[in-house]
Amino acid sequence: MDGGTQGAAAAAWENGTLAAVDRLQSDRADSPTPGLVEGTEPGAGQRSAMFVHAQSFEDLSTEVEDREAQLGKSEGCDAEEFNVLVGEKPAQEPRNNFSSDNKTKEEDISSEAWRSHKKHIFVLSEAGKPIYTRYGTEEALSSTMGVMMALVSFVEAEKNIIRSIHADGCKVVFLTKSPLVLVGVSKTCQSDKELLRELHYIYYQIVSLLTLTQLNHIFQNKQNYDLRRLLAGSEYLTDNLLFRLERDPSLLLSAVTCLPLASSFRDVVSSGLQAAKAKNLVFSILLAGDRLVTLVRKKDQFLHHIDLHLVFNLVGSSSSFREGEGWTPICLPKFNTAGFFHAHISYLQPGSELCLILVSTDREDFFNMSECKQRFMERLSKRSAFQALKEALKCPSYSVAQVGIPELRHFLYKSKSSGLYTSPEFPTVYQTDGEQERLMRLYQDLHSALHHPTRPLRTFYRCGETENMLALVTSGFELYLCFSPLATKAMAVAAVNKLLKWIRKEEDRLFILTPLTY
Amino acid sequence: MSTIRVDAKVVMLGKESVGKTSLVERYVHNRFLHPYQNTIGAAFVAKPIQVGEKVITLGIWDTAGAERYEAMSRIYYRGARAAIICYDLTDSSSFQRARFWVKELQNCEELCKIYLCGTKSDLIEADRSRRQIDFHDAQDFAEEIGAQLFETSSKTGKNVDEMFQKVAEDYNSTAFQYMTEDTNVNLDQKKNSNFYSCCHGN
Repeated sequence: MDGGTQGAAAAAWENGTLAAVDRLQSDRADSPTPGLVEGTEPGAGQRSAMFVHAQSFEDLSTEVEDREAQLGKSEGCDAEEFNVLVGEKPAQEPRNNFSSDNKTKEEDISSEAWRSHKKHIFVLSEAGKPIYTRYGTEEALSSTMGVMMALVSFVEAEKNIIRSIHADGCKVVFLTKSPLVLVGVSKTCQSDKELLRELHYIYYQIVSLLTLTQLNHIFQNKQNYDLRRLLAGSEYLTDNLLFRLERDPSLLLSAVTCLPLASSFRDVVSSGLQAAKAKNLVFSILLAGDRLVTLVRKKDQFLHHIDLHLVFNLVGSSSSFREGEGWTPICLPKFNTAGFFHAHISYLQPGSELCLILVSTDREDFFNMSECKQRFMERLSKRSAFQALKEALKCPSYSVAQVGIPELRHFLYKSKSSGLYTSPEFPTVYQTDGEQERLMRLYQDLHSALHHPTRPLRTFYRCGETENMLALVTSGFELYLCFSPLATKAMAVAAVNKLLKWIRKEEDRLFILTPLTY
Repeated sequence: MSTIRVDAKVVMLGKESVGKTSLVERYVHNRFLHPYQNTIGAAFVAKPIQVGEKVITLGIWDTAGAERYEAMSRIYYRGARAAIICYDLTDSSSFQRARFWVKELQNCEELCKIYLCGTKSDLIEADRSRRQIDFHDAQDFAEEIGAQLFETSSKTGKNVDEMFQKVAEDYNSTAFQYMTEDTNVNLDQKKNSNFYSCCHGN
C-alpha cells in the first residue's frame, strides 16, 4: 500500500537492469552463450524492426510511475472529485438482456466454486459501478466492487495509491487507470508485476473498443454511467484475452511468432502487400491462425506488440469475419488512445486460416481496402505464392526433434530486437490441456525470475521431478528450455550453443528478416 | 483492376441479437450457424440475384447491433437503396429499436426503401405464446411508414429468399427513376468528406 517507497524501489531497479546489461556485456567471455549483441542475434531483422518494443515487458509497469507523478501534482482536485463521487447515488439503469453462452457467467458468487477460481479479474468505474467480472455476473458483485472502490478511494484520500494486498495465499492487485479501476485477485504464484501487466492488457482491450477519449467523455458527463451498455457483447473478447494470457507464450514474451515459410515466398507475400497500398493504409497484416505471415507498415509508423496482440485476439475470438468482409473501428491504444483506426478484416478464402487485416485511418475507406485486397490476391496467384502459403499452412510448426538435441523437449526463443519468437510444437508428453498449462506456468515462473523487479536473474536452472528447465537472457535474446528430467545441467548449458546455431541456420524460415514498408 | 460491382446497397439494421447475421448467412450461404456470436463492426457481402432477365448484385451490409457502433451506422446506411430493419418476434424491446431505425432513415435517407422483418418465426410456430409483436400491429406500422413486412425464420429458411427477392425486384423496377443520382457504393469520399466528418463526430 505504500506508493512512495515502492516507486523509489521500482526506479532503482530500472537503473539496475541497465547496469546488469553492462555487466553482462563485459562478462560475455565467461558466459555459455555466443557473444551476441542486440541486433545480431538469430532472428534479428536486417533492416529495421516492425514493432515498437521499448523495453516491451517493462514499459507496461513504468506507466504506473507516471500516473503516480500526476497524482502527486493534482492532489487537491482529486480530493474534491472524491467527495462528488461519494455524494452521488448510482442510479440503476436498465440493462439489455443478451444471452451469453459463457456458463461461468451464471455462477453463483456465494458458491465455493466461485471462490475457488485461481484468478479473478474485476473492472469497475471510479464511481464503483461494475463493468466486468471474469466469473459470475456484474450485478451480483456490485457491493463487492463498491468495497474495492472504497479501498482505492480511502488510500487515495491520504494522497497515496493502493498497489496490492497480500493475505491468506491471495494477492489482490489494483490498477487505477482513470476513469477505470481494475482489480485482480489471484491465488497463483505470479508476482504483483505480472498481474499488473495482465490488468494493463484488459485495460487496453477496453480502450481498443471505445478509445480513451470516449471513455473520459462518457464519465465526465455522467460519473455513474453503466459502461456495460457500450461493452455489451464484447465480454468474450476479454474472456479470451485472459485465456491467452495464461496459455499463449506471445503475451508472456511480449513477442509474436511467425508461420515457418521459405524466405523467398515470404518476400513475395510481403512485396505483394507492399504493392497493394493506398493513401490511408497504415498497416497490412497477414495472419495464419495465431501466427504472423508478414506485416507491412507505413514508413515511420510502428505497431506495438500489445496492439498486435489485441488484433490477434479480436480476429481469433470471433467468427464474425468469416461471414464476409469485415469493417470495424478499432483503437490501437499503444499507437494512439484518442482515435479509431478502421480495419478491413477478411479471410483469403472461405475456410482458410489466412486472414488479412488492412488498417486504414479513414472510416470511408472500405472499398479502397477491399480493392487493395483484390490487388494483393491477384498478385499472389500470379506469382503462385498462394499455393506455397497453403503448403506452409499444412505444417505451421516444427518438431523439437529437428533440432537434434537429446533430452530437449521444448523451448521458447525470443529475438529482442525483432520482437519475434520461435517455439516448436508441444511434444507428446505435453499434449493435454492440463500439461500445456503446467508447462506455461513453469515458463511464467522462469520469466518472472528473469524479470524480477529488484533482483533479475541472467540465468536460471531448475531441476524438477517431471522436467528440468533452463532460462537465460542476454542483451540480444531470451531463451527458455525444457528438458526431460534425465538431462543434466551440463547438457542443458551445452544445448544452448547448439540450439542457437540451429536457429541461426533456420532463421530465414522462422523469422521475418526483411520487414517492408510502403 | 475491377472492384466488386454492386447495383444496390442493402443495409441490415436492428437491435443486437435479433438475428441480422443469421438472416444474411441463410440467404447468402444457405446455412444456419449456432451458437450466437455478435458481429464486430459490420460485414459486407455481395450477392448476385436473378430478377427476370437481369442479374442484380446486392451489396449487403450486415451491421452490428451493439450500441457502441451506433455512431458508425451512418456510413453503412448512407446511399442505401434498401434497409432491412429487423426485430425479434419474441422481444418487444427490439420492435422499439426498429421504430428508432425507421425514424433515423426517414430523417436521413429518404430514398432508402424500408423492409420490416420479424425474425425467429420458428420460435413462434413452436410456441404461440412467445409472440410479443402482434402481426397486425406490425402490419399497421408498416403501412403507416410505407414499408413491406416479412416474418422470417433463418433457422428453417422460411420467407428469407422471398424477402431478398422482393428487395431486388423493387430495386429493379424503381432503378430507372434515380439513374441520374450517384448511388454507386464506390465511395465518392473526397467530395463529401467534410460534410460527413462533421456529422459523425462523437
